[in-house]
Amino acid sequence: MALFVAGLSHRNAPVELREQLAVDEDKLREVLRDLAATGVVREALILSTCNRVEVYAVADVPGEARAATFRHLCSHRGVDAAPVETALYTHAEGDAVRHAFRVAASLDSMMIGEPQILGQVKDAFAIAQSCETVGPALHTLFTQAFTVAKRVRTETEIARHAVSVSFAAVELAKKIFAGLVGRGVLLVGAGKMSELAARHLIDQGAFPLYVANRTWARAQEMARTLSGTAVPFDELPTALAAVDIVVTSTGAPDPVIKRETVSRVIAARRGRPLFFIDIAVPRDVEDTVDTLDGVYCYDIDDLKQVVDSNIRERAREAHRAEALVEREVAKFLVRQGDVEVIPTIVSLRERLEAIRAGEVKRTLSRLPDATPETRAAIEAMSSAIVNKILHAPITKLRESSRAGSPRSWLELVHELFGLGRGRNE
Amino acid sequence: MHQTLLTLAIIGYVAATGLALAFLVQRDELLHRLAALATLAAWILHTGALIALAIELGRPPFGSLPEAISVSAWVVVLLDMSLERRYGLSGLGAFVLPVALALSLQSASIRPLIGQTLSGAWVWVHIGLALVGIAAFVFNFAGALMYLLQERQLRAKRPGVLYYSLPALATLDRLTYRTLALGFPFLTTGLLMGVLWAGASWGSVFAFDPVALLSYLAWAVYAATLAGRAVGGWQGRRAAYFAIVGFAALALTLGAGLFLPGRHGG
Repeated sequence: MALFVAGLSHRNAPVELREQLAVDEDKLREVLRDLAATGVVREALILSTCNRVEVYAVADVPGEARAATFRHLCSHRGVDAAPVETALYTHAEGDAVRHAFRVAASLDSMMIGEPQILGQVKDAFAIAQSCETVGPALHTLFTQAFTVAKRVRTETEIARHAVSVSFAAVELAKKIFAGLVGRGVLLVGAGKMSELAARHLIDQGAFPLYVANRTWARAQEMARTLSGTAVPFDELPTALAAVDIVVTSTGAPDPVIKRETVSRVIAARRGRPLFFIDIAVPRDVEDTVDTLDGVYCYDIDDLKQVVDSNIRERAREAHRAEALVEREVAKFLVRQGDVEVIPTIVSLRERLEAIRAGEVKRTLSRLPDATPETRAAIEAMSSAIVNKILHAPITKLRESSRAGSPRSWLELVHELFGLGRGRNE
Repeated sequence: MHQTLLTLAIIGYVAATGLALAFLVQRDELLHRLAALATLAAWILHTGALIALAIELGRPPFGSLPEAISVSAWVVVLLDMSLERRYGLSGLGAFVLPVALALSLQSASIRPLIGQTLSGAWVWVHIGLALVGIAAFVFNFAGALMYLLQERQLRAKRPGVLYYSLPALATLDRLTYRTLALGFPFLTTGLLMGVLWAGASWGSVFAFDPVALLSYLAWAVYAATLAGRAVGGWQGRRAAYFAIVGFAALALTLGAGLFLPGRHGG
């Protein structure tokens, strides 16, 4: 019986192949149930996202189970199995554990640290549970994977820094203003990008919101969708004095925010900083504006630079996360090994104890005159022999489980002591 | 006893400073915890050293300038620990601990002043108030320094290590304002008491004493900053520059007290 994971992901398979195999929830249940019915797998979980299709399973003959699983998946989707078969990667045992942990912790994602994958793994787990294809092995594996993912998230900064331009703008605003609660926002120009940025700012508590646009109707419309206030375009200076963050995205060929205007506004702000997020190309904010004291201006290239730096930061944090995962895998395998060898140790003891008790009984029945002292001595001696014999194999089993390779030893012990029946039950 | 404890405390502060600086660059939570632990251990040793000194001398352990500076380092570390914890200002230690270390280093060779002419409750109050003021201005200085560094990061538009590890500008500006508002009354009252006491026992308020004269200068810088902030709406960079100038004047004051002859000298 062995744990394995097989599948294809953005790392090794093109999207054309991945999309052919991707299955929705209903289909997933169907496949899982069919798979369970064939009996080739003892436990199974299928993770299907746009970046990966993977099967985590426990089976007696992993190779066979893997082939059967993907034949199933392919036939459900009416896909030719041959190209899929060649693209598959497989990890077994410890490597499978590591893979599960890394996937859940978003270390194997296309964008490292993206938060969706953990939810997707949790969903896949819930679906497999409802199909009753999750047994003790997968249950332990995935509950631990969720814990590891949470640790990675809280103990490293892998997911802390924004990797999209609009989130990077929000992050910068926070680096200037600390909290955004009660910070006023002005949108100059009513494009999709500025709407997105405005929504992120509002989510962080920014308020109130003003919208200025050349087309008055468009300003009003945007103000309505974002529950803000429309202001006439020529009243920009007044609006500038009232807000802290300005998002500009007009299609104007020349800057609409002039240094002269801003420097007049700044005087009235008594040093309160003003942050321009200029996502228009050509730019809306005059070049020299951010040389003014207390004025910060980021254009689209600046924001991209911040994003690049954040991505590098994530990669750096990913190293720490990998080390954490590695430690967790080692711990998991040790625990797992203990769990695996304990039943064998117990049945080994029981077996020898049964032999001992039987022999002692036979011997004593032939010695009716034995004093209680003699009986006790015979009991004690036989127990001591059993314990001495057991000492070496039990130690060896424990060691092998710590080394992560108990399986061959377990088999040997079962063979030698005739424990065949009762294993895995 | 006091010497041994103080030496151990200083070794602890060196370790804590190193760890805090490493955390600033690496941002590894483990380093942060180690730095916090080293700080706490060193501070406890420092506390022990001060108690031992007080017992040895049979009076509060801030009867001379070096002693008072050592106590203000002790207050600085105490404040650092509580501020870091309360406001999550985890980068603060890297800026405050070096100053605390420098302050406590100078007191490594304290020659206890027994039987000196310090008399009257006033002089103790004068020293006590001044040292709390100095502690507050250490944070004022650290906050201003962090502000200027973070501001540079934001202006450069190329996020570096400090962009990630330093707090937001608004937080740092608030820190410098609050520490100024806290330190100023202490410094003012402390100076005033000193002036009155000097008038009574030296005969003249303006008797030549480098510490007294330089401290009037530091006071003037801080007074100007406070006025600028409260009335002129100063913020950010300008306030930060003034905080640094003020602290330089304060450092000169203390340096003069330690190394120049005068009535504050040891």
